[in-house]
Amino acid sequence: MQATVIRYCGLPVFVACLAVSLATADDTATDAGDAFFEQRIRPLLVEHCYACHSGRAKKQKGGLRLDLRSTVRSGGESGPAIVPGRPEQSLLISAVRHESLKMPPERKLSDRAIADLVHWIELGAPDPRDGTAAPSSDSVAVDGRAHWAFQPVAPPARPAVRATDWPRNALDYFVLARLEQAELQPVADADRYTWLRRVTFDLTGLAPTVAEIRAFQQDTSPRAWHAVVDRLLATPAYGQRWARHWLDLVGYADQIGTSNNVFAEHAWRYRDYVVAALNADKPYAQFVREQIAGDLLTPETPVERAAGITATGFLVLGDLEIVEADKAKLRVDIVDQQLTKVSRAFLGLTIGCARCHDHKFDPIPQRDYYAIAGVFHSSRSVFKTDRGVWSDVLARELPETAEQQRVSAEQTQRHQQRLTALKAERTEAERQKKQLAEENNGADEATEGKQIAARKKQIDQLASKVSQLDRKIVHAEFFVPGAPRVYGVEDIAKPADMQITIRGNPRALGETVPRGFLQVATTVPAAIPAGASGRAELAVWIASPENPLTARVAANRIWQKLFGRGLVRSVDNFGLRGEKPSHPGLLDHLAHRFTSSGWSQKRLLRMLTLSRSYRMSSAHSPSGHHADPENRLLWRMNRTRLDAESLRDALLLATDQLHRIGGGSAIPLEYLENVGNIDPANVNPPSFSLSKWRPEQPFLRTLYLPVIRSSSQPGPAELRNVFDFPNPSEFTGHRVTTAVPTQALFLMNSPVLKKHAAALATRLHAEAEDETQRLELLWLRVLGRPIRATEEQEARAFLAAVGDGAWRELSHALFASNEFLMRL
Amino acid sequence: MNRVGLGRRQLLQSAACGFGGLALNGMLADTSCAASPLAEHAPHFPARARRVIFLFIAGGPSQGDLFAPKAYISKHHGQEISSPVGDDGQIRVGVDRFLPMAPVAPVRPRGDAGLMMSDLLPHMSGVADELCMLRAMVSDNKAHAPASLQFHTGHIAEARPSMGAWISYGLGTQNENLPSFITIHPPSGPRSYGASFLPAIHQGTPLRVPGNDRDPAISNLRDPSANLQIQRQRLDFLQGVNQRLLNRVKTDAQMEGIIESFELAFRMQAEAPSLVDLTGESGETLDLYGIGDGPSDRNGRACLLARRFSESGVRFVQVTMGGWDHHGDIAAALPNSCRGVDKPIAGLIGDLKRRGLLEETLVVWSGEFGRTYWSQDLSGKNPLVKHGREHQQESFCTLLAGGCVKPGFVHGETDDHGYQPIEGRVHLHDLHATLLHLLGIDHEQLTYPHNGRDHRLTDVYGNVVDEILQSA
Repeated sequence: MQATVIRYCGLPVFVACLAVSLATADDTATDAGDAFFEQRIRPLLVEHCYACHSGRAKKQKGGLRLDLRSTVRSGGESGPAIVPGRPEQSLLISAVRHESLKMPPERKLSDRAIADLVHWIELGAPDPRDGTAAPSSDSVAVDGRAHWAFQPVAPPARPAVRATDWPRNALDYFVLARLEQAELQPVADADRYTWLRRVTFDLTGLAPTVAEIRAFQQDTSPRAWHAVVDRLLATPAYGQRWARHWLDLVGYADQIGTSNNVFAEHAWRYRDYVVAALNADKPYAQFVREQIAGDLLTPETPVERAAGITATGFLVLGDLEIVEADKAKLRVDIVDQQLTKVSRAFLGLTIGCARCHDHKFDPIPQRDYYAIAGVFHSSRSVFKTDRGVWSDVLARELPETAEQQRVSAEQTQRHQQRLTALKAERTEAERQKKQLAEENNGADEATEGKQIAARKKQIDQLASKVSQLDRKIVHAEFFVPGAPRVYGVEDIAKPADMQITIRGNPRALGETVPRGFLQVATTVPAAIPAGASGRAELAVWIASPENPLTARVAANRIWQKLFGRGLVRSVDNFGLRGEKPSHPGLLDHLAHRFTSSGWSQKRLLRMLTLSRSYRMSSAHSPSGHHADPENRLLWRMNRTRLDAESLRDALLLATDQLHRIGGGSAIPLEYLENVGNIDPANVNPPSFSLSKWRPEQPFLRTLYLPVIRSSSQPGPAELRNVFDFPNPSEFTGHRVTTAVPTQALFLMNSPVLKKHAAALATRLHAEAEDETQRLELLWLRVLGRPIRATEEQEARAFLAAVGDGAWRELSHALFASNEFLMRL
Repeated sequence: MNRVGLGRRQLLQSAACGFGGLALNGMLADTSCAASPLAEHAPHFPARARRVIFLFIAGGPSQGDLFAPKAYISKHHGQEISSPVGDDGQIRVGVDRFLPMAPVAPVRPRGDAGLMMSDLLPHMSGVADELCMLRAMVSDNKAHAPASLQFHTGHIAEARPSMGAWISYGLGTQNENLPSFITIHPPSGPRSYGASFLPAIHQGTPLRVPGNDRDPAISNLRDPSANLQIQRQRLDFLQGVNQRLLNRVKTDAQMEGIIESFELAFRMQAEAPSLVDLTGESGETLDLYGIGDGPSDRNGRACLLARRFSESGVRFVQVTMGGWDHHGDIAAALPNSCRGVDKPIAGLIGDLKRRGLLEETLVVWSGEFGRTYWSQDLSGKNPLVKHGREHQQESFCTLLAGGCVKPGFVHGETDDHGYQPIEGRVHLHDLHATLLHLLGIDHEQLTYPHNGRDHRLTDVYGNVVDEILQSA
């Protein structure tokens, strides 16, 4: 093995949130020194010294601050901390060596850390931290407003283009103008088959059926495309598809935390809320407000109020460590997760970095983190249970309409009747058992041997019946019907501002920060009424057309799902380290159209899918490829691989097995087999173990299958494990697509593919008379287009060569083909 | 990205897909990058070990019973002592009083170096002189899932790449027909072997060792119904269809990636089954690992497979052996747990040694934490003899062997209660840093950009434990 020694590569390699502009990294001495400071010294000072010697310490010990360049040099009560260039004369060095003062007092620094400090002072103590002893960080935020994403949305006029016959709607002018600027031409339109398969997958996550393909081919009207889009947006499948995109940002699972298989029996209501909101085209601003503060809004009807409370599931359905024994830490960790999630999903920012220090790249001072954290800290979402160290997520009861109450009451009554019957049955079995035992006691072994044996057998049977009834009774007593409940949050009695926690430690507290929002994206200070948490105000601030981020981030996410990549490719990061938009004018145009159309996602989707840009084929063009190989300027459509959900749903659809309707609970907890511990006296929380599925579950859309954190995705959802389903402990707006051999093994050999291939072969034989018709149908069903002549020849040759089971093998081959796996 | 052997800038200049998208989450993991992500890379500096076998002893093995008895504890066995624990905000269940509990079986010095080891581990005692014992290991969480996650990824709650994935990413593979990271009987869930934001090819391939010689150890490695000829015919037809599409669109790295993955899968079908087939091993070898002997059969098979994978060039092989969560009746339960692992582990170390593989293979033995020296009684009414021990992450024992760590060596010491380190403290992050160091990787340089910052296995922590390294 060849060994290469590389030290720093001339670049600072690591520091949490380290800023390195690769394009401009400069090797001057200053930069190298600053880099050394950032890499070695700042983290060390933050970790070991700031608790007592910084602006965030309650009282600076010895009057010394080590968080500013100036105060390091001016020093504290014992004199200057350092003499640049002279480590041996620097008090800091003798202190960390425990030669003069003993610092840090509790534990000496590692030899390496001390050596780093010595080296740093030898270098002249380079220190990029400017500012004076006055609070330094807030100016960061004000300076940061120059960044494009923090500027107000400013839709430009429609640009002029030369090829005026190309655009179909306004957005096409923006795309074409950029292409013409680069002397590029858009490729030709996709054919009708390709466009229909594309738009159907993009809007509904499903392939077009044979009937839908034929109908579109036969529709000669110029409005044929409009009719397709309108039809797709009106199907429930639309909400089912786009809900899954949203759930990726939530870290949704049907499980609480990761430990011990704790079921989240109410989580599905949030999932169904998202589906319903999308299908109803609920204005995005309202969708946002409800998920942050739906419980605090004051809607008129119980239905709306229930939706609002359900929506706050957004804040609690991520991976919570409910087994954390340190409850103070659990609380601040949950706040951190809520803040991280809200800022990423709605604002496209990584605010989490500012938990421990001012954000190193983005204009987000640590104070901003705690200003927002205080809002969530004033809400409650978990509570300590009586079971060991465990906490549980708050389950809030939903208000019901009169009709719902009536149904609920009926259910409760039926349930009570069933429970009573079970108990009666148990009592009766016990009575019989006792009676038989008594009869046996009084019987004479010699004369009644046979009867005794028969009664013994009966007693055993009754005993096993009793133990089964016991399980049923415990189960029925645990799962009592009642008002629907959802996981959500509520404000605490006394909302309060939060103190900075030093490096996230809930017991190392710094100054208190008044609650508020991001300074860089706001001009008016937050006004949070006394006694309120500020969640409602935060929600309104985020869901405002004036917020420079919200509409842009949302429009960009939608664009990404249709065009394969965002205009800003870093869809979750609009900060300084994110990418710049490829078409800034277009992004603002879309954001503006989005807000001015009442935040209607359907209208935005309609506009995008009916554009000429969306209609382009994904074909190659030598000039486009030469000038812009990554297709940043959109000279063609991007190809994407189907995700796990679309892939599985497409398999089911191609074999006529898909149930298009779904919803409700995902884990079949009504089966005793699936319920682990529900004993109220157990030190561990209620748990599930999935072994029995409802009959319809193998055929449901993948969205409705259970999402589990503690194991691979179970049962019918196993395909998720193979095809890049994002870890439900993460929040991400961008799924990574991989091509690994385990996928190929799955496609080649798994029983799932075999089964679908066999089912398809059977369908083909049932529906078509001869080989020609079957081949035509096979291609339509799997690839959404007619078979070509060369393909037909090869397919016939293949069928002849394989012999028995040839249609199954051919179907299998097509299901594993790139054209099936890709949306072109 | 800062893979070993390439600086960030060099990578940017050289990579086929170096479009400045480094900040973009996962961009380089995408199939839009055509270069083989598993190609072997040179380390930062000469490596001492080339491969790792990680024996994860899941549940929290009791270091006080197995390796590090305490005079003070044995002396005060069963007598209530004042709390050794400060106000740390932690809830303790089943520990109303602090009752020291002596080891459940004698612990004695073994071999020439005199490492302490329980009578419950007779075979491991026989290889004690190969072991390096860290007696003041520290991690950060008391519960299984987060502690286990931290052991595998460095992080308690967030989903991060597993150390096997980091190592695969850093060094690439030594055998292109096999995955570079294999995990046998992984502990709950893919997070322990996930690649998280690293390219997915570095994810561990999970494997269940069947208790017999018939069932496949890797999913979908065989076509259950079609014969190989039909399968190849189908594959040829499929690749023909794929190739025609590729010809139509001219260039598509993703499609090419899928086409290649099918060929690798086809190759794996040929190579992997013989590797997981233990029928060719001699009776002497099977016996060495305790295969065929009830309680140690499963772990024995797993350890032998680990040796075979490791020998074939798999960079990181993990074997998980559970059943160490002794909250109650540890006196009865611990001997059983020991019987399950003693021979397999001793067999593995001995086998590596006699094959001359031990020097370049680092073996790591550890639980996610250890257990307290005082007792725990969840019922609140059992006699001491039926008590167990609570989790303890404040200090526990980890064993190392091979890979040029000092053999027959003890590092670290804890206080009289066996609760807090007083000397030679090694945090989990330090262990990770040391592991990478032995493989020739500087843990501060093995980075990957995600969510706006560069990430490492050791986050912002970690110091190499120089004291345990053999002088080069």
